[in-house]
Order: sequence, then structure tokens, then C-alpha cells
Amino acid sequence: MSALIEVSDLRVTYGAQPIVDGVDLTIERGEALGLAGESGCGKTTTALALMKLLPASLKQSGEIVLHPPKSDEPINVHKRTEAGMRMIRWRHISLIFQGAMNSLDPVQRVDAQIAEAIRLHAMGGGSEAVQARIDELLATVGLTSALGHRYPHELSGGQRQRVMIALALACSPSLVIADEPTTALDVVMQAQVLRLLERLREELGLALILISHDLGVLAETCDRIAIMYAGRIVESGPVGAVFDDPQHPYTRRLLDSLPVIGGERGVAPPILGQPPDPGDPPGGCAFHPRCPYAKERCSAEQPDLRQLAPRHQSACHFAPWSEWPTVETSVVGIDTAVAGEEGP
Amino acid sequence: MSVTSASAEVATAALAGEGLDEHGIRYKLLHTWRGRFGIGVLGLFLFLAVFGSLIAPDDPNASSLDVLASPSFAHPLGTTEQGADVFSQLLVGARVSIVVGFAAAFISAVLGSTVGLVGGYFGGWTDRLLDGLENWFLVIPTLPLMIVLARLLDPSLGVLIVVIGFTSWAGTGRIVRAQVFTLRERAFVERARALGAKDSYIIRTHILPNTMPLIFANTVLIVAVAILSEAALAFLGLGDPTRISWGTMLENAFNSGAPSAGAWWYVIPPGLCITLLVLAVSLLGYLFEEHVNPRLREANA
Amino acid sequence: MSGRWLAGKAGAAMLTLIFVIIFNFFLFRVMGDPTTQLARLPNSSPEEIEKLRADYGIDKPLSGQFLDYAGDTVRLDFGVSQRSREEVWDEMKAALPWTLLLVGTGTVLATLIGSWMGVIAATRRGKKTDDSLLGFSLLTYAAPEYWIGIILILVFAVAAPILPAGQQVTPGVEFSSWISEALSVAEHMILPVTAMTLMLLGQYFLIMRSSMVDVLTEDFITVKRAIGLSHEQVIRRHAVPNALLPLVTLSAIQFGAVVGGAITIETVFSWPGLGELSFNAINDKDFPVLAGTFLVFSAGVILANLAADILYFFLDPRVQAR
Repeated sequence: MSALIEVSDLRVTYGAQPIVDGVDLTIERGEALGLAGESGCGKTTTALALMKLLPASLKQSGEIVLHPPKSDEPINVHKRTEAGMRMIRWRHISLIFQGAMNSLDPVQRVDAQIAEAIRLHAMGGGSEAVQARIDELLATVGLTSALGHRYPHELSGGQRQRVMIALALACSPSLVIADEPTTALDVVMQAQVLRLLERLREELGLALILISHDLGVLAETCDRIAIMYAGRIVESGPVGAVFDDPQHPYTRRLLDSLPVIGGERGVAPPILGQPPDPGDPPGGCAFHPRCPYAKERCSAEQPDLRQLAPRHQSACHFAPWSEWPTVETSVVGIDTAVAGEEGP
Repeated sequence: MSVTSASAEVATAALAGEGLDEHGIRYKLLHTWRGRFGIGVLGLFLFLAVFGSLIAPDDPNASSLDVLASPSFAHPLGTTEQGADVFSQLLVGARVSIVVGFAAAFISAVLGSTVGLVGGYFGGWTDRLLDGLENWFLVIPTLPLMIVLARLLDPSLGVLIVVIGFTSWAGTGRIVRAQVFTLRERAFVERARALGAKDSYIIRTHILPNTMPLIFANTVLIVAVAILSEAALAFLGLGDPTRISWGTMLENAFNSGAPSAGAWWYVIPPGLCITLLVLAVSLLGYLFEEHVNPRLREANA
Repeated sequence: MSGRWLAGKAGAAMLTLIFVIIFNFFLFRVMGDPTTQLARLPNSSPEEIEKLRADYGIDKPLSGQFLDYAGDTVRLDFGVSQRSREEVWDEMKAALPWTLLLVGTGTVLATLIGSWMGVIAATRRGKKTDDSLLGFSLLTYAAPEYWIGIILILVFAVAAPILPAGQQVTPGVEFSSWISEALSVAEHMILPVTAMTLMLLGQYFLIMRSSMVDVLTEDFITVKRAIGLSHEQVIRRHAVPNALLPLVTLSAIQFGAVVGGAITIETVFSWPGLGELSFNAINDKDFPVLAGTFLVFSAGVILANLAADILYFFLDPRVQAR
């Protein structure tokens, strides 16, 4: 397997405030990477930065190198001009937004919107060929071509989401970024969409970046997962490894906060406090104000992302964690003490 | 020349500044160029409205043989077709615009709020009727309506104030009604009712205080409309014949052929004053509206 | 179904118009007894007045009078002008096309220029261009349109006499063909239409700007850029068409102002439309004419609102689903 896209030291700032604070990512061909974290941690910004779609008020730096499957020439996305980007977008990387309510132009018919993408990248040929391709795409996502002739408001939410998927596949990209694709859907539709994405991945060899705050969704669909906090990746690794053996307090706490059927009764311990204000970040490790395991070092020094196992990384001073000391929480969820060992 | 709530919203959102949300209204009034310009210019014209006749160098009604003369030392803005001093007329004319503008807007506010409150609070057929009345006034072109009424009643200052106030209330009515609708369903009103409070009490202590800021902001904008309306009516010959206003100055200038005579000193200043005053009042009005309407501020964030 | 919605709108329009007629009736028959106005004219003898009272049916009960009035209105009998002794309807019929010409041209230009300005301001939001355009639109709102008209005359017809100062054609000239007459009208139209356009510009600009700003925040705009369209293509193909929809209905709030502007601008330029007719009627206290023009102006605005509703219905695919 060879790398499809390599991201090095991606940074996005709003004036002086960092939104994405040094992110490194590598995605293999056909791999599904999950990007998890609370709202405002920088997941969506990272995704948009890959396609250089950020508004002008946000400044972006860092390297993004794309290795398209059928070519030997790597594409230096970070160096491309806007005109150059227009050729890459959708053709190599495409995007599915959360809640396709407003992702489609309300006054344009669905098939016209797909046709627009196809024609823009000269993928179609004559109008018959384009129409055939549209029908093929719609069929792939389980929609009829009659539905394609309608306006977006005439379709249900689930149908619109599937249209977005069809649209995302229109130019046969090698990477699809799905930003909270299931958040606005009910559980049944959520399962359908996820299964669809998996099937498409298998059939078309698509790589996928799946952004979600729902760890369950990510666990189901992804090969690897990266946990983001305050604009940085704090842990990344294979999905099984990260979920079974988390190596960062934030990940540990996220997993703790998930209720488990058949597990212990009681209030799931929340992660207290608020995500940091990008204009006023805490010194040292960004998570330390909310971390029950924090020590003095954590407020002074920012931890780097370190390799723990072949593909498992964590940005915590005290990783690797072989076991997690229990944290006592009272009924109202206030940490009272850290019982057990002091650190690893 | 009607400003409905929709266009005021649009204008306010467009003209709203950024980053002022944390500040109170005093800051906005005193520290933005809009606020300063508005207060400064309005203050100036308010001063003239009161003291204009005292500081005017000449009797504005005095005629002389020096007809349509261009500016000179004696007459810094030249003379009218009657030979009167344009500058003096200009100073004195502020009073009519200010008085009619504010008085008519006040009447409009009272009328509009009453209709909006009664209809919005009591609902049912009362509201249907009042809403229909409101919509009628909103659709009907205001200037022709004002012309018809003013002509019928023989124009004077009082008639103008009543006519303008009586035709401009519908915009306020609609805003108040919408606000009352939302307030009516709020918890504190339901609680008050459950405790047995009378309607008049609820309206007085709960509904009205939460609506007053909205009414105030909207009324300031109506002042601008009223000033323009008075000027237009005066220009068309329906101004108070016993008083000098900027509108009547333009009327006289036009009717006596000042434009063709090239008498720019007679024609430009009155219109300029109207423009400046309306500008100042509008800027203040948009400032108030933006301050009062949290939704607008959110939309600009 | 769409038919019912249309019928509802048309019905509401009809009802509004009926109330205008009722209003007119009360105003002019009950409050302003026309015979008292007539009595001011020289040469009216008591017998004439009595005859006119009978003609106007003032001796009948109120309901009877109203039915007469309504019936007359439907038959386009608005009485006789007190000044010219002509049929009011004939005078209005002759004046209407001129007003439509002025108002129509002004509205079209104001919509085009205003919308174009609005798109520019929205895409350069917060920058100098935006601020200047906003300031400009506020100025054109605050400045009385008749004053602007007078200034236009001063500059372009008096100081540098390149355009005519009034009327619709150069008086006293024999025109060799309809083309040369049309050209003369066009020449005379320039200044009044400029005044009208300037007056209406600001509102269309603000509406379009606001509409564009709203549209540009929508997700589908980002999607269109993600597909590979350039900024200009996205704005032209997707943002503007979506932004135009509210423009159609929101601009309906201007129709009343348009009428007001027509009256004052026609007065300034002696443009022979309904506005000038009203102006003369004001000075002459010619109530039949005032009543007639008020009705026609109101009907015009009501119809324009209805037309805007219908237009929006056909443009927005989402409305048709109702």
C-alpha cells in the first residue's frame, strides 16, 4: 500500500489565533481514517484545508502532497495556485458535508448539479454519456434517475445525503472527505449511509476521511483513527488499538463517557470544563486544565506526538499508559482525587 | 416614502458595525462615527429649531426689491424671489421639520403600538380586523393618501402632524404585533396569568417594557420618514402657509423659476438641510435598532 | 394547489381595492361635499348647485349613494374635473402612459444598477467598496428626489444646457416621423428618469446585498467551490440566482414610494403624467381628480404587489410545491 496523501505540519490561523496547530497525517490508498474530537477542535478546518477551501481570513501553511493512483507525479497541493486547485478539487478529493439540507443549490435540479461537476472536469463526453454516468451514480447510491430530475427540496433528508454521495463520486476521486455525514440522520438512515460508504470504499478502492464526534460511527467504519484536541492530534492509531488501549487521557475520558450496554450502572463521568479558547490557550499541554492525571510538567511543556507502537502515537508526557488510575467522581461529577498510583 | 420593518431590518443589518456588541448604547452613540454624526447634526438642528428665529440675521419674511440675488456679504446665501434672506429662512425652517417630524412620529408610535398591542395580545377577530387594517395602510401608497387628507383638511402645522402620523403607523404596528406574539407565549406571562393577573396588568408590567425599546428604535426611523413627508407635502403646496419650512422654500424656489434662473443658492441649501437631518436621524435610528434587536446583531457576527 | 393560492392572492387584492373605493367614498362624499367646493366657483347659480346635488345623488341615503359611487367607479366614471370640465377618466387615461414610461424605466434601471451594486458590496463585504456603496445608498434615501431633480436641471439644463428642463417633448415642434418624436421624448426622459432611478436605487441595493450575504453563508456555495468552480462562476451561476428570489417580493415594499416619487418628479419636470395631474389638482382643489388619481395609484400598487407575488411563484420551485 502506498501513501495517497501526506500532510506535514498543517497550520491554520485566524489572525494570531491557531485553529489547526501543526497536524501531520498520512492516508494510504483505500484507507479509512476517522477524525474525532469535540466541536471546535479543528476537524472541519483540517478537512477544508486539504482542499484549500478556507475563507481568506484564515491563513494556511504546511505541506500537503497528493499521490494520485494512476500517475507517478505527486501533486504539491500546498504550492498550487487557486486555478491549479480548481483542477484538483473533486477530481482527486471530494467532500460530503454534514446535513445535506443546504449542500445542494435549491434552484437547480439534482441531475444538473451532478452534470455540472462531471462537465467541469471533462469527465463526461457528450450529453448522452453524461446522462448515463449520472444514472449510474444515482443507481450506485440507490436512487432512480427520475428522482435525479427533481429539485432538492422534493427529496427527503436521506435521499439528499445519498445525492451528495453520488455527487462526491462523480469524478472518480481517490479520496472522499465526509464531514459528519450521519449527524443529521436518524439511526436507521445512519446505518444505511455508513454501509453505503463501506461498500463504495470496497468497490471503488476509495480512501475516506470520516469526521465525526460520534466514536461509535468511527469505530464501525474506520481503519485508523486520529483524536484531535485544540487543533492538534493527541492520539492516532489503528481503531482497535486506540479503542482497546487508549494512550492519551483525553481518549480515555472520551471512551469513559460512552455508556456501555451491560456495563456498570451509574453516571458516566463527563469530561469537565470547556474546550480551550483559541485566543487564550492554556500553557503546555492544551488538555491539562481538564486532565485528571495532570502534573506540573503538563502546564509547562507541550507534549509532542510520540511513536509508541509501530502505528500508534500519542501526545502525552506520561504515555505509554499500561493502566489507568481510577478517578473518583462524586454524583455531581467533580473529581475529588486521583486514587492509586501516581503516574505510570 | 414608507419604511417598513423589512427594509429597516435590511438597512440596519447592512449598516451595522462589527465588534460593538459588548458595548452599551452610550458607547455606540459617542464612539462611532455614525453616532457622533447623528448626535452632532441632530443637536445642531434641534438648536436651530429652538433658537433659529433668534439668531437669524434678517427677518425671514421681509421682502425687498433685491430679488433672487446671488450670495453677498449682506446675504450669505442670497435672496428669495421675494427678496428675503435665504440664510435666515434656512435657520428658521428647521423648526417645522423638527416639530412635524417628532410630533408625527410620536402619534404614529402611539397609534401603531396600541394597534399592535391590542391585536397581538387579544388575538382572535380583534386581531384579524386590526391586522387587515394594518395591511391596508401598508399597501396603500402613502404620499397620495397624505395628499388627499391634507387637501381635504386645509393644511396647517397641526393638520400635517395628524395626517402624517395617521398614515405612518402601520409599520410600527406590525413590529409591535410580532413582538407581542412572541412575548405572549413566554413563560413569565403564562405564570402571571396563572396567578390571576389581569390583562391590563400583564400588558403594563410584562409586555410593554419588553416592547418599548423596539418601539423607540422604530420611531426614530419614522421621524426620518415624517421629515421627508412634510417636505414633500410642502413642496407640492400642502405645507403650512403661515410658516417657513425647508419644503416651502423649495416650493417657492421652484414655482418662481429659481432653477431656470440658475439661483443655486436658493435651491441647494434647503434640500441639503433636509438630507443632512434625515441622514442623522436615520443613522441614529439604525444604531438603536441594531442595539435593540439581538437577532440582527447575531446575523452580523 | 397553485390555483387556490393564486385565487387567494387575487381575492385579497380585490378586497384591498374595494376598501380604497369605500375610503374614497367616505372621504369625498361624506366629508367633502363636492357641492360646497363647487359653490366656490364663479357663475354657479343655486339652480346649478341643486341640479348637481341631484346628479351626485346627495339627497339619497348613504347606502344608496355608495352603490351609485361604486357603480360609477366600475364604469370608470370618476366624474368631471372641476378645473377643466373634462371627464376625469379621460384625463387620467391620457396621463397614465407617461407615468408608466417614467416609473417603468426608472424601476428597471434601479433594479439592474442596484442589484449589480448589491452583488459587488456583498462580495466585498466590510471593505471600503462596501462602505462607500452603503453610504451612497443612504444618501440617495435621505435626499428628496424632487431636490435631486431640481439640481439635475440646474446642472444639465441651465448651467450646461445640454438637456431639456421639462416636459416630454420640445414644445411647438412638428415631428417628421414617429422616430424623431420618440427621440425627443427619450431626450426629455433622461433627467426625470435619472432622478427616479437615484431615488429607488438604494432600496434595491440594500435588499440585494442582504440577500447575497445570506446566500453566501449557505453550505452549497462551499460545495460549488469544492467542485472546482471559480469564485466568479459560483457567484454568477449559483449565488445570484438564489439571491434574486427575495428581491422580487421584498422590492414590493418600494411600490408605494415609487408612486410618491412619480408625483414629485413629474411636478419638477412638468412631465404630463398622473403625478402632474395630481399636482395641478392639489392647487385647484379639484377633488374629483384627486379621488380618481388616488384610486388609480392605489390600484397600481395593489396590482404591482400581486404581480410580484405571481412572479415569485413562478420563479421559486419551492413555492410551487405548495
